[in-house]
Amino acid sequence: MSRTMIILLALVAIVFAVSWAAKSASLDDQYDDYISRGFLITLAAFLTLSILSFLYKDNPFYKFAEHLFVGVSAAYWMSLGFWSTIVGNLIPRLSVTLSAFFKVPHIEDEYALYILPDKVSYFIPVVLGILLLMRLSKKAGWISSWPLAFIVGTTAGLNLVRYLRSDFIEQVSSTFVPLLVDWQGTGRFFSDFNLYAYGQFVTMLGNWVIFIGVLCGLVYFFFSKEHKGIFGGASRVGIWVLMITFGASFGYTVMGRISLLVGRLTFLFHDWLELIG
Amino acid sequence: MKFKMLLALILLCFVSAVSGFGQSAEEIMALPDSMAMAPPAPPSNVRGVDTDNDHGHSITLTWETSPDDGAGLNNVIGYKVFRAESPDGPFIERALIPSGGTGHIDVGAKEKDANDYLPDHVGFYYKVRAITADSLIYAESEVFGPVQSYGQWFNTGRVPVLVFVIFFLFVTLFFIQKAKGGANLFVRRLAGIEAVDEAIGRATEMGKPILYVLGLGTAADIATIASYTILGRVAKKVAEYQTGLIVPCYDPIVMTVAQETVKASYMDAGRPDAYYEDMVYFVTQSQFAYVAAVNGTMLRERPATNIYMGKFYAESLILAETGALAGSIQISGTDEIAQIPFFVVACDYTLIGEELYAASAYLGREPLLLGSLKAQDYAKAAAIIIAIIGFITMNFGIEAFKHLFYVSN
Amino acid sequence: MKRQIPLLLVLVFGIFMIFQYFVPHESSEWIYEFFLDWIYIIGIFALALGIWSLIRVSYDKIKYKKPNWQYAVITLAGLFAMILFGFDYGRHFFSAEGLSNYMFRAFFDYILIPIQATMFSLLAFFIASAAYRAFRARSLLATLLLVSALVVMLRFNPYFGPIGPYLEQTASWLLNVPNLAAKRAIIIGIGLGMVATALKVILGIERAYLGKD
Repeated sequence: MSRTMIILLALVAIVFAVSWAAKSASLDDQYDDYISRGFLITLAAFLTLSILSFLYKDNPFYKFAEHLFVGVSAAYWMSLGFWSTIVGNLIPRLSVTLSAFFKVPHIEDEYALYILPDKVSYFIPVVLGILLLMRLSKKAGWISSWPLAFIVGTTAGLNLVRYLRSDFIEQVSSTFVPLLVDWQGTGRFFSDFNLYAYGQFVTMLGNWVIFIGVLCGLVYFFFSKEHKGIFGGASRVGIWVLMITFGASFGYTVMGRISLLVGRLTFLFHDWLELIG
Repeated sequence: MKFKMLLALILLCFVSAVSGFGQSAEEIMALPDSMAMAPPAPPSNVRGVDTDNDHGHSITLTWETSPDDGAGLNNVIGYKVFRAESPDGPFIERALIPSGGTGHIDVGAKEKDANDYLPDHVGFYYKVRAITADSLIYAESEVFGPVQSYGQWFNTGRVPVLVFVIFFLFVTLFFIQKAKGGANLFVRRLAGIEAVDEAIGRATEMGKPILYVLGLGTAADIATIASYTILGRVAKKVAEYQTGLIVPCYDPIVMTVAQETVKASYMDAGRPDAYYEDMVYFVTQSQFAYVAAVNGTMLRERPATNIYMGKFYAESLILAETGALAGSIQISGTDEIAQIPFFVVACDYTLIGEELYAASAYLGREPLLLGSLKAQDYAKAAAIIIAIIGFITMNFGIEAFKHLFYVSN
Repeated sequence: MKRQIPLLLVLVFGIFMIFQYFVPHESSEWIYEFFLDWIYIIGIFALALGIWSLIRVSYDKIKYKKPNWQYAVITLAGLFAMILFGFDYGRHFFSAEGLSNYMFRAFFDYILIPIQATMFSLLAFFIASAAYRAFRARSLLATLLLVSALVVMLRFNPYFGPIGPYLEQTASWLLNVPNLAAKRAIIIGIGLGMVATALKVILGIERAYLGKD
């Protein structure tokens, strides 16, 4: 460890200790557990700054926060999954003894399923789950592809019909727009150029752009035809429309992202340092 | 404390009593009027049938409005729907429909222990009451029944989807047969895919690994399935070139599948010895913890190429910008529309939407995959033709064509 | 045999789920719900595999003193501490009350949440650097992207005087009209890609996800 590193660590430790003491003191009259609260808020601030330090370059503080984050979050999701899915939903349906052990109320067969009794139908995923765990064995590892096949097959079938409907049929049929709006005379037609307004010209222009944009966009996605001639022209218009759109959604997101940073700065300056009210 | 609560309770009783008196006073005042108001004519022709295309537990009711609804005495303000298990009652109120209403779908719960459980195959009796502003003056229709609800075995409202499934299946099988027969299927250039080979070559020259990110999708997401195939091809090339491969995973099942895929590719390439399980590893199932770890990997391992394929959310830009700042060549592909702009800006090559799904056919060049790519193109052509026909019919005021594509729930 | 059974399972369950979509009957609905539950439950078992992978990779790092091995210790410490708190070693051992354990909550509120929010907020910097990257690009497509991004980004900017309202209108038009067209084209393409991929999976043409035996 280099000298500068040691000095830096010592400095950070001092700042941390001072902040802990000061924070605890300021929380003294609000909470009984002010010492641990002071510690936790200081820790949160330290971790926040550690992550932000990544913007400068990779460094031991970032590495620390990152590795801690990975471990804690993995365990968090595991605990949550275990208690809510396994204990919360599976065990009450599986066995009286296990329900009693985990102190959850047992659920009797609530549905009269036509094919399998309830208990059996919940033993199946347990068996599949155990088959999946067989991966850890060298000899019987191949059997773990059965539960995977179940998951992939089920969801493939499910998604096939679902997306065919929502992403294909419904999208295509909503492209059927009237491109000629009821004619109300030239005066009316050219009256309102405000792009917000639903004047005839603007509405029609919008409908045309949508219609042609969708067609050209689809042409861009043709894979088995050379993009040449008219086809190439349409495909080029398609990619232009895509790029304009990407730009617009990029621009649209910027402000939202900046407000996230403001949120963190508020934590540092308000909750931790109490510099702003 | 208790004293205060008691006081509050007394006060509350007092206030409600006063307002109660107030109401009854109004009613008394209104009485002469309502006495004068004659009851409306009842709604007629109440009919009930099992609701179509559903799982049961629902009955569709229709009736004709009271002649005094919007005309005549014009005092009907709505209809109340009542249901009973016998024609003599007891009837329970099921719905309140505003005046002018001529129908109601009585949907009950399917769970036996639910409060409004509506059993199938049980005869129910319905009556409809035309109500007026005065709760005492109303008129009831004749009781209709018995009517039973039951579930259907085919949803006719979803026929358009079925037609397209069959169409798609046939087109796919046709082109696969054609491709198997040796027909040469042309496929246009896709820069993002061509870049994959180049990028692996570059990584080999530099002696640096390739980072492959499968995204945050579950093993169930089709984008992830498409990504496995691309990973398979990439891993095979990587094994041939003897370059390193790093695959950090977000979802444990995805990790399992990815391990299988990579292992198979190494075997295919004839280098099973070079494969080790921890090339593909699990990080955590927390979005930003995963990002933090992958970012760290990018800066520490300095991969020559980062490939992002699959489902991505807000982390797309964090990953892609870190990779760009670290100087890696980046190739991305996602079907998450909101994230495509960020990949386009920060990556060298981006597969936009459908291109992600086409990529596996490009990399594999197997007739089977190319055949299905051709089928995709035909379906797109169909979409364009349908859109044009739809546009023409709409502009001539023919709505029927559009109705062909209506899918009910 | 080892290879055929999974492919058969995929085919059977895939076709079943397609049929299920057209059958509104209750029994079909129950099976559908059961299947989704099953996938969820299998997922939790898989999480054990994930955690095992995390532990093994970290352990190997420490054992072979790979670069940055010290940090693997922190990962493992955080992991085991959080698991221990989650199972609340002590008063409510082995009950769901572990999730309301003081330390479990504290780790969540003061470690997970701040780091998570900060990682997310890095986006503010990255979006700026990405915008800069787009600014340097010299191609027609990049320019189109940049111009429309600028128009939308500056739409509420009060310093443009008379052209301000036009900018605002153009921005809102861009977001409503071409945006809709492009998204629809992309979505239709994605829909077809998904359908094709799902079909390939069900028919056993696409089998990379099963590995090889």
